[in-house]
Amino acid sequence: MDITQNNTDQQKNTTQRYEVLQELGDCNTSVGNYEEAQRCYEKAASVSPDEPGPYVGLGVIALQKNLLDDARIAFRVACRLDPDCSKAYAGLAMVAQQNGDHRSAFDMYLKSLELDTDNLTALLGLFQTSCRMGSFVQVTYYLEAYLDIHPGDISVMFTLAALYMKDNRFEQSKKILLDILALVPSNKDAINLLEEVEHKLAQRESTG
Amino acid sequence: MMEKDHKKKAEPLVSVLLPTYNRRSVLPTALSSVVRQNYSNLEIFVIRDGGEDVSDIINSFNDPRIAFIDRSENRGKAFSLNQALLQANGKYIAYLDDDDLYYPHHIGTLVNALEDGSNCQVAYSDLHRTYCRIGPDGEREVLSKILDISRDFDRFFTLCFNHTLHVSLMHTREILEKTGTFNEKLNILIDWDLTRRLSFFTDFHHVHEITGEFYHPVGDSDRISARYHKEQDEYVKNFLAIRTTRPPKPWPKIKDMSIILTMDGLNEQVQDTLVSIWRHTFYPYQVYLPLRQSEFGKLDMEIPNVVTVPVESRASKEQSIDAALTECDGDVIAIVPAAFPIRNLWVEDSLYALVNSSVSKEAFELEDSTYKLWAVILNREDLDYARKNFPHLPLCQSLKAAGIIIRRVLAEEIPFQYDQLLEQARAAEKDGNWLKAAQTFGYIAEHYQNKLWIRTQAVRAFFKAGLHTQAAQLVHQVNQQRPTVDTLLLEARLNRRKDCKSAIEILEKAEQMLEFPFNQVLQNDPVFKEKI
Repeated sequence: MDITQNNTDQQKNTTQRYEVLQELGDCNTSVGNYEEAQRCYEKAASVSPDEPGPYVGLGVIALQKNLLDDARIAFRVACRLDPDCSKAYAGLAMVAQQNGDHRSAFDMYLKSLELDTDNLTALLGLFQTSCRMGSFVQVTYYLEAYLDIHPGDISVMFTLAALYMKDNRFEQSKKILLDILALVPSNKDAINLLEEVEHKLAQRESTG
Repeated sequence: MMEKDHKKKAEPLVSVLLPTYNRRSVLPTALSSVVRQNYSNLEIFVIRDGGEDVSDIINSFNDPRIAFIDRSENRGKAFSLNQALLQANGKYIAYLDDDDLYYPHHIGTLVNALEDGSNCQVAYSDLHRTYCRIGPDGEREVLSKILDISRDFDRFFTLCFNHTLHVSLMHTREILEKTGTFNEKLNILIDWDLTRRLSFFTDFHHVHEITGEFYHPVGDSDRISARYHKEQDEYVKNFLAIRTTRPPKPWPKIKDMSIILTMDGLNEQVQDTLVSIWRHTFYPYQVYLPLRQSEFGKLDMEIPNVVTVPVESRASKEQSIDAALTECDGDVIAIVPAAFPIRNLWVEDSLYALVNSSVSKEAFELEDSTYKLWAVILNREDLDYARKNFPHLPLCQSLKAAGIIIRRVLAEEIPFQYDQLLEQARAAEKDGNWLKAAQTFGYIAEHYQNKLWIRTQAVRAFFKAGLHTQAAQLVHQVNQQRPTVDTLLLEARLNRRKDCKSAIEILEKAEQMLEFPFNQVLQNDPVFKEKI
């Protein structure tokens, strides 16, 4: 047989079989069908043993089942396969968080965000651990970075507005809240927080 | 539905030719896929072209439709196919390589296409290119199935290069009386050689269905074509031999081209030009070389399709042309000075415009033609008329005097525009300019045939360009008609956020497609199970 076209670019590192299985695993995890998801991830791992994705998926399932040791092992395998796997570090952070080790969780979330500022799970995890530890400087930076990529993400906008307020940066907080209300005028949380921010601003003006 | 259709009338006999050489591990899969066709009126020739004994495999099928040609000497694929063709009785001939496979509707689909009254004597379908990993025991693990070639029949392209794989092709047996059988002197591209010759005699019917797959191992390939591609000289030799093959006339679908080479005398430049023509011309041609008596015997080269025409020693350029004209039998004639620059498509651009022009009395100056090196192509009858009526005038003036309009080819008249656009789209993809790629694919789908496949290509570009709404609409349409693993994967990704359950259903279809036919047809077959 003679091949007419050179389609070497189609010969990707990842294969369709891997991609389908990984995607099926992720979708089944999303709907809580963990057994099927596990089957898919295990098969995906056997098709492409060098890909970290299936181990991240298996780690997430173990986390859902509260099997923290299994989850840690799976995320570590993923990290070994790809030292730049942001999701795997986020997974390890979640394991640490569940174990009450907020310092490690904080560090792992930071590592995850360094690798991918777009990782929402890591961002929200960092926020949670920051709340626990009372330090918001780094989380503010990553929330801002995230919003640069996803300018309309209301939950992150609200979190940032709340942090600005906590940090006495009322003008910046107000601006974000107004942006939220321009997108969703009926957002009650934003309306309430805006009221509070405006009150603080008025107080500041009156005290000179 | 399809099954019902071909049961309405008697099923014509189809001969399936399956040569094999040292591929014991995969032969059972290939043969099973033929034996388990929905279409039953088959004679199946398995030709052992030397190598390992496979008689046990053949016998285990215990199918009277299988004829086993058991030869211990390795004489090549062309010889093997010809050996089977000598014995074939089918109205139609189909081919399968020992490492490829048909889907169960393959034969029925192609027979339907040939029996539908379109007068085509060749039909072909689409195939998956199946990337697979070979395990230590020789077992294949399917990794991806890509539909990377799906193209409507294009005679010009077929003459230039192959776009129809023989596994996907079926033709009448009787057409071989005109084309001849496989060329046993070739050791590569034998499929294209026959396909090219078939295109001289018939149009091809393209069925837009995926009816089988050919395997593409990841890593080193044991394919003959892959081996010979590495041996450039051998490849070029075969390639040129195919392009200069002229099957016996008459050619109902091809206008023969005669090239009359004008010159002041036989010299090295003439010989170089002849070589260049040989290397750069893909359209069937014959060169007519007017030579003086004294020059005969001085042409020391073996170039195919060169005819020498004796002319008087004092013959003018026009007299030489007229002498050549009496000898040549082309339907279109190109008159070219010996020093003319020859490059790819040097004559085919103008030729394509000429053969597709509906205007009579039109001649085309070749693209690189100049005042000093004037070259032209026109229909033979127009040239005959001009030379008969105005023999005393120089060539160009005689054409004008005969009322022939001489012009250059327009951009929209040149061949391979579809391919050029496709190349532009691919280049845009490589540059990451997905929007441009999507727009180019959109334009091609709008203006050319084979919309379905082009839309399949466009979907990915739309998705990558971030135009998810357009991508979602288009991919849904495509998947309703002819889903592929890639398009199903894409639709699932687009659906996932809003409807995870439907994404799962779509992905399960993709998974089944990757498993097919092993998950359904062959796996449930006890004979097949035993074989693998």
